[in-house]
Amino acid sequence: MPLANTPTSVPVEVDEGKCIADKGCTVCVDVCPLDVLRISDLTGKAYMKYDECWYCMPCEADCPTDAVTVNIPYLLR
Amino acid sequence: MVFEPFEEESDFEELAERLDDPDPAIRRVAVLNLADTADPEAITLIARAISDSSPEVRLQAAIALGEFDGLEAAAALCEALQDGDSGVSRAAADSLAEIKDPHAGEPMLALTSHQDPKVREGALLGLKQLRRPDALANGIKAMNDPVPAVRIQAVGVVGYLKAEEALPALIAGCRDDEPEVRRTAVGALAFSKSAHAVEALVNATADDNWTVREIAAEVLGKQDSGTRASELMGLLEDPFWQVRVKAVRSLGKLRVSAAVDKIATQLDETVSNLRKEAAAALGEIADPAALPYLEKLVDDPDPDVRKNVRWALGQIG
Ligand code: SF4
Ligand code: SF4
Repeated sequence: MPLANTPTSVPVEVDEGKCIADKGCTVCVDVCPLDVLRISDLTGKAYMKYDECWYCMPCEADCPTDAVTVNIPYLLR
Repeated sequence: MVFEPFEEESDFEELAERLDDPDPAIRRVAVLNLADTADPEAITLIARAISDSSPEVRLQAAIALGEFDGLEAAAALCEALQDGDSGVSRAAADSLAEIKDPHAGEPMLALTSHQDPKVREGALLGLKQLRRPDALANGIKAMNDPVPAVRIQAVGVVGYLKAEEALPALIAGCRDDEPEVRRTAVGALAFSKSAHAVEALVNATADDNWTVREIAAEVLGKQDSGTRASELMGLLEDPFWQVRVKAVRSLGKLRVSAAVDKIATQLDETVSNLRKEAAAALGEIADPAALPYLEKLVDDPDPDVRKNVRWALGQIG
């Protein structure tokens, strides 16, 4: 599975100012069926670790602070 | 500092402590973790968060209580419904609508005459699904509420009871100033086969608002006598195709042979949904008089229409 090295290019972006993973939230990590999201040891915030995505959206919908944005490619919209 | 993700979801003691943490984000996550336990014992703790100082925590608690049922959750949600923060009260109303236990209706009944219309609306929304016969009086009273959104929910409460005693109120609702109230009231008449209900439905076929005529056309199809076929046939002249679709369906369900020629006029319509439903209705009526009309449509460009035409031809034999 390819590792996402450049965080800005991955389809799922997390607004670190809003994310409360450092307070114990793991909602997006738990709902993702592909298990591609993680909480960073470095920042304590959620991020997309593996650049694989079904664009199924629960990470965005269930995030309690609206921190997750799934950028759906134009052709899939 | 980075917290370890919460693993022991059944550890209520630690979660209770987190609910008292000075950091609202920690309290919010504690509410999320409590909801994840799906253990009814969590309700008492989540209910505590309904009076948290932070609106985000109260919001999370109002959302979380929607995952539970019963009187305790409903009582806390009724409190949240009166929250000064509109996001919290809206979430509480949504969660109340998920409550299924009729015993949980008690605190909602008390709020149907609250001074704040949003509270009255939310309480009625919650009561609707519970189908408590003792909610009838509250519902009927609220049908005269000055706020249309409250009247809409009130009609829902009264209509869901499917009770003949509610009929006069529902018939009055069919004459409400607000189209959405009329639409809901007309839809709610489906349960009654009484002459008064049918009369109100017939009046609704001449309503100014097309969505009211549409639901009237649909509900008339559920009244088992074909004696109202002439009103349904009249609706086939309606300027709105949505109304005509429902009239066609109802005429098919009621197997009104006299309507074959009128239904067939809908087979020339550009809206393929109309052609599809008209073909189905002609199949249901199964009158050989429909054969020439249907045969003209065997090569319709829409596969769904073709399918129904083939089925209808088979019904007629
Ligand atoms: S759900 Fe939202 S707040 Fe929670 S970890 Fe994911 S991004 Fe952060
Ligand atoms: S959209 Fe679906 S697959 Fe993609 S990260 Fe979110 S939950 Fe995972």
